[in-house]
Amino acid sequence: MEHDDSKFESYLREFKPRRPEPLEQPALRRPLWPRRLAAAAAIAVGISALLWSGRENREQIATQSFQGNPLQLASETGASELLLLPMTRLALDDPQQLDEQLTKAARTSLPNFRKSDSTLRVLAKE
Amino acid sequence: MDKNRLSAEDIGQLYERHGPALVAYACGFGLDRGNAEDAVHAVFHRLLREQSARLQNPTGYLYRSVRNAALNTRRDGTRGTAVDEAHFVHSAGDVAAALALQKALGELPEEQRAVVVMRIWSGMTLEEIASASDAPLNTIASRYRYALGKLREKLQPYHTE
Repeated sequence: MEHDDSKFESYLREFKPRRPEPLEQPALRRPLWPRRLAAAAAIAVGISALLWSGRENREQIATQSFQGNPLQLASETGASELLLLPMTRLALDDPQQLDEQLTKAARTSLPNFRKSDSTLRVLAKE
Repeated sequence: MDKNRLSAEDIGQLYERHGPALVAYACGFGLDRGNAEDAVHAVFHRLLREQSARLQNPTGYLYRSVRNAALNTRRDGTRGTAVDEAHFVHSAGDVAAALALQKALGELPEEQRAVVVMRIWSGMTLEEIASASDAPLNTIASRYRYALGKLREKLQPYHTE
């Protein structure tokens, strides 16, 4: 029986399944995760750098404001809103000094109405 | 190096070794040759895309996947094997015998047909087939014996032992 089976197996092997078309290898998609990870890392680094730089600036301004004249710093840096705290502190600690500094600052930052062509003088005449 | 990971080269070799038998197997589900090839190609393309996939038994995976793909294609309504479309070529050019074999294979129960195709045209041992099919060796051996008996009967007019 086994002999018959092996003879019949040999007979079956005389038949060959027809070969299919060659396998076309599709363009293998590269995994996306390394690119996504790199992009996420780049964004994270950018945001961190931005935050760090902003914090550095604020700290620098705050440090300088405690050391120097807050109003002068405000006019130099244009960051008057950031100097609110040192000015408040100065007002509480030494109101006279604050008054002096405000007067001094007013001379340079407020419009001068004593000049002959100053806008305020023109308006006052009208 | 993970031995279960398949490279593109491994997959190419699997296609060379099992591709023709897998197409014949897919044809057994009532698909015409073109659809059977498409089903087999789809399985290999998926394997190529997922090269990193770990496969304990690639041949078993291929047969299971081709079976599913063929059944899906048939469910979608694409079928219709032309009776005179031979999927086999006889070494002595007996076209009638090739068509008779094809018909006889198509009439076998699916499990028996799979065992015959794996054994005769994929060159697998019964142990490998049992492992690929998740079935006991005795069951596989019985299926094979029954299948051979039926084929012998159907091919009697063409085969003189």
